[in-house]
Amino acid sequence: MTKKPTQTMEQVIGCECVQLENGLTVLVRPMPGYSSIHAIYGTRFGSTDTHFRLNGTEMQLPAGVAHFLEHKMFESEAGDAFLEFAKTGANANAYTSFDKTCYLFTATDQVDESLDILLGMVNQPYFTPQTIQKEQGIIGQEIKMYEDTPDWRMITSLLSCLYHNHPIRQDIAGTVDSIAQITPEMLYDCCKAFYQPGNMVLAVAGNVTMAQVLDACERANLPATQCQVERIPPQEPTQVACPHMEYAMELASPCLGVGFKEAPVEGAKAEVICDMLTELICGGMTDFYRKLYDEGLVNPGFGGEFITLDGCCCFLFTGETEHPKEVRGLLLEEIERLRQQGVDEEIFTLCKNQTYGEVLQELENVEDAATALAGSFFRKRKLEEDLEALASVTKQEVDAALQRMLKPENSSTVIIWPKEEEE
Amino acid sequence: MLQREQIAPGVHLNTIEADKFNRCRISLHFRFPASKEKATEHALLPLVLERGYADCPDMTQFSRQLARLYGASLSVETHMQGATRVISIAVSGIKDRFALQGENLSAAYAQIAFGVAFRPYLEEGLFSQEAVQIEKDTLARQLESEKNDKRLYCVRQARRHFFGNHPAGVERDGYLSQVSAITPASLTQTYQDMLEQAELDVICMGASQQEVRELLQQSLASIHRKPAQLLRQSFIDAKPLEHLEEQMDLAQAKLCMMFTADRCVNPEEMAVFRMAMSVFGGSSTSRLFLNVREKQSLCYYCSCRFVSSTAMMMVDSGVEPKDAERAEQAILEQLHQLMSGEITAQEMEDNRRSVLSGLMAVEDSLAGLENWYYTEILRGGAICTPQQAAQAVQNVTAEQIQGALAGFHYQLGYLITQPREDMTHD
Repeated sequence: MTKKPTQTMEQVIGCECVQLENGLTVLVRPMPGYSSIHAIYGTRFGSTDTHFRLNGTEMQLPAGVAHFLEHKMFESEAGDAFLEFAKTGANANAYTSFDKTCYLFTATDQVDESLDILLGMVNQPYFTPQTIQKEQGIIGQEIKMYEDTPDWRMITSLLSCLYHNHPIRQDIAGTVDSIAQITPEMLYDCCKAFYQPGNMVLAVAGNVTMAQVLDACERANLPATQCQVERIPPQEPTQVACPHMEYAMELASPCLGVGFKEAPVEGAKAEVICDMLTELICGGMTDFYRKLYDEGLVNPGFGGEFITLDGCCCFLFTGETEHPKEVRGLLLEEIERLRQQGVDEEIFTLCKNQTYGEVLQELENVEDAATALAGSFFRKRKLEEDLEALASVTKQEVDAALQRMLKPENSSTVIIWPKEEEE
Repeated sequence: MLQREQIAPGVHLNTIEADKFNRCRISLHFRFPASKEKATEHALLPLVLERGYADCPDMTQFSRQLARLYGASLSVETHMQGATRVISIAVSGIKDRFALQGENLSAAYAQIAFGVAFRPYLEEGLFSQEAVQIEKDTLARQLESEKNDKRLYCVRQARRHFFGNHPAGVERDGYLSQVSAITPASLTQTYQDMLEQAELDVICMGASQQEVRELLQQSLASIHRKPAQLLRQSFIDAKPLEHLEEQMDLAQAKLCMMFTADRCVNPEEMAVFRMAMSVFGGSSTSRLFLNVREKQSLCYYCSCRFVSSTAMMMVDSGVEPKDAERAEQAILEQLHQLMSGEITAQEMEDNRRSVLSGLMAVEDSLAGLENWYYTEILRGGAICTPQQAAQAVQNVTAEQIQGALAGFHYQLGYLITQPREDMTHD
């Protein structure tokens, strides 16, 4: 990229931002010509927020509380929020990740009414022992569904091998035993701590205006931030918890995962570099991927990703392979080769090009655009800053990062064998 | 709105307005009668075509060419629509106005899409031996690893037994037993047959219609077109209910229930079936979601869908192994209650709003628009816009829904569950 893209990108991104007096961040992207809107009401409360002080009192949560709370938030004393959304025709959903919980809907009509339901349901929580018990059954089934999913089992196994104490090592949904410990009081405390406007974002994209969204916020009469919350970071050694794990499950071909534990990174440029590294090592443009693919060593879908959260950063390379030990060896060799020789200049430039196109693509649909806006809040920076970082990053910076990162001594390997082929 | 013009026998150029999007998209959809004998070659073709084309034969260089075009994406895929197989080649990427160096990107996308479709990389007139062998191995591994996704595996197994030897049951990904016999010569012949015999729809969204038309005409110039007759609709005759069970070591059992309407469904009836699916199990206000999942906690997911090309309804659910029979009975009970009991006005309106909302959002994405209009083309008859479909949904009555659901015959319950000795009971 030779032109600085942010000048035109500011117009393309077209994000309007207002921070309300109560602390809520409101992000709106009007999209002329679109019929629908997508709204996300999100909080910085995910599965890894398990240890904190609320107004001075220390709290330690069992695994799975943020996800459990997400399920329960759809229920109020008056009834089920899904039924309320049905009256407006909106399609509602929610999800929980390691560091956030988001409630969302897509609608083409009665947008004001849907915004009222969204803001109302999250700000009027209602929990009883009976409703909690019922949800334990539903979530128990969700946990079991994921237990049968090799991809998800691989990610959770890798994270539990990399980390000793960080709560990222626990499944987002928790376990049947951990969610059995959840009480109404625990959920109310989490609402007080993390569902305060100052910790939340309302991101809306599509056939909508900022004035319309601000009116909805005013109608919701959201209380100002009142509680003092202090997250207590886990004490995490730099070494991995377990360098190697193998087990078997009901599947047809073996799965390999190689994870690398890194020192936490901060800032747009560091994240851009980490993102590029996975592509530069084994992305579709590399000769290395070509070798693995053409020699039948991996199935399509083999690739890398990186995860960054407060207090943790890691790379995960995963995929199906009939030759997990050989592929692991080749991956480590390739990383070492790049560390010695530097990354490929051409692929580095093409990665930048490709990422620029992906940003434009993300702003095209109402769902993706609202997700991108909310993501910028959770990353604590504007979308434009990511593009500036992308434009300014150099091959030398990527090569320098490789000198510090992706070291074999900081890696863990997980192999999941088909039951009958366990070694 | 779609503009459609015939370019050659069985070949149409379709243009859909896409001004508001950041990207443009050019896609070519070849459709022809599904064949069990050729199923694996048809499944292999996309993998070989996607590796490169005459102007850029090397797969890695091709990936780099797409990245150079700001991460343009190429997809070559196949899917089954009843007894018809579709092979689709699509290129999408950012519009010219976003190019940082003033490149003519949309022209490049069109060259790639038509290049992949009509000018594949051949060695002495045949697909490369090396490429065919590599992709045969990839396809074989893909077929062997089917069990890794238990939910999908259950649906596929149910489908296999439901359709039996009917042409609609031809496997999208082919058959492991056929892989080894494929040669570059046989695959090339199958590809040539597709060019001559398939109906072709080119869909142009946001790119130059004139450029695409010219490329299409040039590409067809040397091909002797003789499109094959397509079976647009089919159905499975009702027969006695069958239960099949497969045991494996898993935490959550998968239950797939297949129903036949025992008749062809006309395109004009789609509004009734859209509403029927929403009320029964296609939405968060459906009977299955509210009762079987939420009230009775009998499954984690439980939803239904209707495939008009084969008049088939499927209910797909994830259940506790020990609750599988109760879940099946609860699902059937909800269906019977809907057929014979009351559908309230509130239920009708809630579901109508949900269906209308989905229809109105179709035009807000390139994928939504393309899927909508190509499905309309495949269905045959007059092409309906999302607005016209919405109008039809406005007029659907509870009695029509009951009539549609009453026409389904339960044919097959396919259960994948734990070995009986592993099940725990409360």
